[in-house]
Amino acid sequence: MMKATNGGAPLLEVRNLRRFFPIRKGLLRRVVGQVRAVDDISFHINRGETLSLVGESGCGKTTTARCILRALKPTAGEVRFQTAAGAVVDTANLPKTALKPFRHQMQMIFQDPFSSLNPRMTVFDIIAEPLLASGMKDRDERRRRVENLLELVRLRPEFMGRFPHAFSGGQRQRIGIARALALNPSLIVADEPVSALDVSVQAQILNLMLDLQDELGLTYLFVAHDLSVVKHISDRVAVMYVGKIVEIAETKQLFNAPSHPYTEALLSAVPKPDPRLRSERIVLKGEVADPAQPPSGCYFHPRCAYAIDRCRTETPPLEEIRPGHVVACHRAREIELKGVEAQRAV
Amino acid sequence: MNSAPILTVDNLKTYFFTDEGTVKAVDGASFAVQAGKTVGIVGESGCGKSVTALSILRIIQRPGRIIDGEILLRRVDGAGKSSEVDLARLDPEGGEIRAIRGGEIALVFQEPMTSFSPHYTIGNQIIETIQLHQDISKAEARNRSIELLRMVGIPRPERRIDEYPFELSGGLRQRVMIAMALSCNPRILIADEPTTALDVTTQAQILDLLREIQERTRMSVIIITHDMGVIAEMADDVIVMYLGRVVESGPVDEIFHQPKHPYTQALLRSIPSIFAEPRSKLPTIAGSIPHPHNRPSGCPFHPRCNERMAGLCDVYAPRLLPIGERQMASCFLYHEPEEAPQA
Repeated sequence: MMKATNGGAPLLEVRNLRRFFPIRKGLLRRVVGQVRAVDDISFHINRGETLSLVGESGCGKTTTARCILRALKPTAGEVRFQTAAGAVVDTANLPKTALKPFRHQMQMIFQDPFSSLNPRMTVFDIIAEPLLASGMKDRDERRRRVENLLELVRLRPEFMGRFPHAFSGGQRQRIGIARALALNPSLIVADEPVSALDVSVQAQILNLMLDLQDELGLTYLFVAHDLSVVKHISDRVAVMYVGKIVEIAETKQLFNAPSHPYTEALLSAVPKPDPRLRSERIVLKGEVADPAQPPSGCYFHPRCAYAIDRCRTETPPLEEIRPGHVVACHRAREIELKGVEAQRAV
Repeated sequence: MNSAPILTVDNLKTYFFTDEGTVKAVDGASFAVQAGKTVGIVGESGCGKSVTALSILRIIQRPGRIIDGEILLRRVDGAGKSSEVDLARLDPEGGEIRAIRGGEIALVFQEPMTSFSPHYTIGNQIIETIQLHQDISKAEARNRSIELLRMVGIPRPERRIDEYPFELSGGLRQRVMIAMALSCNPRILIADEPTTALDVTTQAQILDLLREIQERTRMSVIIITHDMGVIAEMADDVIVMYLGRVVESGPVDEIFHQPKHPYTQALLRSIPSIFAEPRSKLPTIAGSIPHPHNRPSGCPFHPRCNERMAGLCDVYAPRLLPIGERQMASCFLYHEPEEAPQA
């Protein structure tokens, strides 16, 4: 189900974002090269929808998330964010001091619920800290707000005097979500929010995130490597490989009719929880390319079963092959790729 | 063709005696490993799956100790006569277990980043393992190491052998780890979360490699994981553990298509699926895994179980008993309690 975009403009639009990290060597720490962690990517997120950013380690998905929150200064490009007042600001290029009025509108949920909460602060202090920082001076008011937030994430408000160690991983992740929601953000960036949790607890947190989105009209940028989790939560999915986006499509479209060979291989590699589906998987040769020395042409060509001469020399642009489905592959229109439904049918 | 199993674990209990109390990490686990087959042990954190593996190899660290049970390793000599050795009775520091460890039973760890010494080349470390168990010269051991590295798919092994672990990617390191484990032709390979730290395309490569090696060598594999997908791909037989107990065991197809224990059923339902409708809710298991110091009485799963029977599941501990021909479950839905209440 695609959400209607009210007002037309997307909540977030990323244009030609780049983030390079210099490689320094020698006594003088001279720059001898660049790690192109995020290399010219563009996408948008509509208000109220979930866009997932998927890819393997080192593909640049976390760097992208951090650039959007301006925890990292992008090397180049724009991050156009629609503020609560309706104006559009480019958070990539604003000076840090000018960012402050907008920061609370974008919040983050972290991967590790064990290290992302200060063990010396009570749950109340953890969740109330952003409230205090935003000028809510009255303690009773903060207490009421924290109670509300705890109820929102289905935790008992009586627990607010306890310390994080008294809670399980799933409960801690709920506390982290309550803290992220404290200032009524419009955009939540969730970086692997369930990957440190046990399977039986993952489902609870995913359901909670879906509920909160419906209740509060939140917009999610969901960063993850687990494609099964992504399938459950996303409206649209963007696949990254070595700092570039190779494909973006609506979730169903991407999973059932992928158009980039890397997406096909990723989907095929996921172990399916059914022994009757032990099919022939696509096992990619070799390893993920080094973002400091990417291959020529299409970065995926050394591992791609469909590569032709052109792929070795020419970088494929991201092109729209059908409405809402963009792919960076020279052969996207001529090759027939398998999605997950085709694997199930085998 | 149910010949005698190569390894039989019977009523294994491994407890940790800490200042805060006793943690029953493994509390009566029983299962068997057939020659040439793969057993998958699956469960969530704290279920005792890794401690079970460490117990088999007798590398449980203090304050942990095996307090009960048998771990029978069966050997067949040249004349076809079989004998058994109980690993649980061996001196964990003694010569006999040290010959078995890395020799007859090898281990592949989860973390390929930290399982090697950073100070020695990978060649050094494989050669050391080989020479520890086999009386061959260093040159021969080196040649054998290169062969092993080639077998696990390391490109240009004659050069790679002199590299240090940090020079290799996670996937290559896990391959080297497997090469080292295979160096003494083990009869049983224990793989503890062998692909958890790896990316999904690398995971596919490593799982393929393990299967291919097993086909060639006919060794038995015990694969320990929390990932039901990996179990479905790899295992012939499955052991499902929860809080130190085996709650269900059986052939892989039965476990996935006719699970008997409410925990297995709930776990399978709650896994996010790649076949799901986008934005669909998942059935959940209520609550969370209890802290090991607060073990529930009776059946350890009863506080989270939808089918618990008051006065029964919270009082008596169910035993693992057969259901049908090939499956076993410990649940009072299938068996009457037969013993006095257990604390």
